[in-house]
Amino acid sequence: MAREGTARPATRPRSAPRRGLPFADLGSWTVFALVAAVAWEVTSRLYDAPYLLPAPSQILRALAEDSPVVLYYAGITTQETVLGFLLGSGVALLAAMLFVWLPRVLEDFLYRIVVTLNSTPFVALASLAVVWFGLGITSKIIIAGMYTFFAVLYHTHKEFISVDPMREHLMDIYNATWLQRMLLLTLPSALPIIFTSLKGGVMAAVNGAIVGELFGAFEGLGYMILDSRYVGNTVRVFLAAVFCTLIGWVLLGIVTVAERLLLPWHVSIARERS
Amino acid sequence: MERVSKTYEIVRLPGLFGRRGTEQILDVVTNFTLAVAPGEFVSVIGPSGCGKTTVLFLLAGLRDPTGGTIDVDGRPPREAVRAGVSSVIFQQPVLFEWLTTEGNVLLPLRLRDPRWWFWRGRRRGYLPTVGQLLRTVELEAFAHYYPDKLSGGMQQRVAIARALTLDPRVLLMDEPFGALDEITRDRMNLELLRLYEDRGLTIVFVTHSIEEAVFLADRVVVMSRGVSPRTRSSIVTEVRVDLPRPRQLALKEDPAFFQKVREGRAALREAQMTS
Repeated sequence: MAREGTARPATRPRSAPRRGLPFADLGSWTVFALVAAVAWEVTSRLYDAPYLLPAPSQILRALAEDSPVVLYYAGITTQETVLGFLLGSGVALLAAMLFVWLPRVLEDFLYRIVVTLNSTPFVALASLAVVWFGLGITSKIIIAGMYTFFAVLYHTHKEFISVDPMREHLMDIYNATWLQRMLLLTLPSALPIIFTSLKGGVMAAVNGAIVGELFGAFEGLGYMILDSRYVGNTVRVFLAAVFCTLIGWVLLGIVTVAERLLLPWHVSIARERS
Repeated sequence: MERVSKTYEIVRLPGLFGRRGTEQILDVVTNFTLAVAPGEFVSVIGPSGCGKTTVLFLLAGLRDPTGGTIDVDGRPPREAVRAGVSSVIFQQPVLFEWLTTEGNVLLPLRLRDPRWWFWRGRRRGYLPTVGQLLRTVELEAFAHYYPDKLSGGMQQRVAIARALTLDPRVLLMDEPFGALDEITRDRMNLELLRLYEDRGLTIVFVTHSIEEAVFLADRVVVMSRGVSPRTRSSIVTEVRVDLPRPRQLALKEDPAFFQKVREGRAALREAQMTS
């Protein structure tokens, strides 16, 4: 064993937990976007029906004509999405912790409330949120948060109750407190799945913000989609949709980078590195 | 066996009744009476499913006995393990894959630190300790490696270092080298004997390999298994292994060693017949 141990000395002592390259696939995403844009441009020109499928060049022209308003709307929607995502995922994590902390009877009871809410149509809840919290961004943050919450909660809760019993035994042996177990065992073992659900949660948040805006708003990309459709301006509908996609991409990128920084030990990230 | 004191027993199980799990209403182990003297190395062998692991879990305080008493250094086993008097090594290394070797080894100390949540600041104070422990298991070059970069044998050595972190006097080991190949296993056995001799440990070592049991132990305790779920396991017999220490691998070629292995095998066969 001594030989096994010394045969491969660590040349750089701190190099073993080498961080993954956080922006490793930024290049491939750019290439993907460019290829998609070119293919779209060509298809659209061949089809030649701008009111059905406008070309990227036409969408860019529309953006140039009206950029202050569009960028402002995009900013509003981004704000709603980000705040809603933080709210929803934060509440989901705390709720999952609460679930495992509570006695079984209460856990089951709360779980039923969550399932009931989740099976109520989102659009009904969304329209109620607009009634309750007004036309401003508060109602949209809450709707985006609600979408995120359900996307994150189930997986997180499942992971929290699936900790390896041998590891629980280990924590028993060292007399760990509830908080120590949660922060040093349960949460880290759940993190890979939590991050996967956060990626879904980001997309859900974008959707939630747009749905909220469709139900009553006077600004934002959802409002722009509704407004442009009424006047038959397909180009602006596409423009708004493209911005939604961009918001989704950027936020997904941020979550992915955070994941790589926080989980350098996970097999999926270790594989990317090697 | 001069180091065995006659009056003092560090591990004592007079008339133990163990239970495997709450889902089973039967007692798995009965009539299990074992006293281990300080500094003694006891191996427990028996056919698969006879309750060896149950006995170890009872000794570690991870299960409660349905009857009888268990003493580890004069305390209930759970208290002993939490006070750091005894320590457990499982079949699997049970490492946290998000902690490096160093982090895994320091886990017991971190859990005892009143400011465990401020680890970045506290870690530094423990570095001499971890350095020494990693030298003990010859892994100092791998302090900053994550477990998935280590071989099975190295992972189990990390687990051993972690078990030694609180400087226990009793080690409870549950087939710790069962998953390793034979060569690695031989090395680990020598390593363990070196630790045992250097640190004056008391070890209860569960295994299903007769050779391993004989090679390591002062005494091999043989358990039987009930033929049906209703009949219980118990200690059938024990084999004293008065082979000289320190032991080397060459011992495995010695006729005296073969003789003890033969005795162990006979006892095990008998165990299966009487049950």
